[in-house]
Amino acid sequence: MLAHVRTCPRCRVEEPVVRALAAQLAADPGPTPPPSLAPRVLAAAAPLLARNARHAAWRTTWPAVARALAAALLPLPAILVFDVALVRAIYALLGAVLPHGLSLYLVVNHAALLVLLLTLTYGAVPVLAARQARLLLQDGHPHG
Amino acid sequence: MARDEELICRVGVGDQDALAELCRRYERPLFHFLARHTGGRDVEDLYQETWLRAVRAAPRFDPSRRFSTWVFQIAVNLCRDWHRRPPPEPVEADPNLPSTTDAPEARIDARRILAALPEAQRTVLLLRHYHGLSEEETAEILGCPRGTVKSRLHAARERLGQLMGSA
Repeated sequence: MLAHVRTCPRCRVEEPVVRALAAQLAADPGPTPPPSLAPRVLAAAAPLLARNARHAAWRTTWPAVARALAAALLPLPAILVFDVALVRAIYALLGAVLPHGLSLYLVVNHAALLVLLLTLTYGAVPVLAARQARLLLQDGHPHG
Repeated sequence: MARDEELICRVGVGDQDALAELCRRYERPLFHFLARHTGGRDVEDLYQETWLRAVRAAPRFDPSRRFSTWVFQIAVNLCRDWHRRPPPEPVEADPNLPSTTDAPEARIDARRILAALPEAQRTVLLLRHYHGLSEEETAEILGCPRGTVKSRLHAARERLGQLMGSA
């Protein structure tokens, strides 16, 4: 670079200016960051870090969640067919011995209970799968 | 000791210790760059916003890039936005800015001279001659060709020559 400065007329003219500026800047250490600045930045960044952690956890667990949901949805049509048949059979049986209104009431209650149980079961699948995947990752056994 | 690039990747998955370490390593260079760029105004806000943007973008950080270039790019973009903010005020150094320097005259001169440069030239000059970045790194930070960096540097030096001659 020095050889270039010696031969290049433009750089030869500019060199003292740059040297002088470098000296000026070197003589100016600049403002000192206040001690409270770093803790303030870390406190402000805490929610963003938490969001990053959540997203990172989701990125690592979603394949396991998807697999678990797919596996759980496979037998769902058979479960629904079985439940419908069961409800119809119960309704027929109750209709033979009880008044129509009462048997309908009991069957509707039973069907509502079945729907609630199914919803809870399928709602728990992704939650449990994500938790299981996180535990496996923490133990150092990547899922899948 | 972990590399900066490893630390920012850890920030991308929510590691607060990694962020604290990066803040410690880059506190002075970033703070000084922002202070010189803005003449000492809004430095703490800009500094904090630089880190918040870095944390937000950390999950998308490309580990093949240099962290220093990346974080200075964020700071430069923030400074550009800051300069565009209305109402436009003349850029002038703040002589009351706290400092530890033993040479106040030199400090004020350097600040005044820098403040008198157009924003684009000041950025190039600070990155090249104060922070010691290469022309390639400066070009990457500014998102412009290397030739543009050279021409801005040349223009800045010419202007400096005039300013220092008249000082």
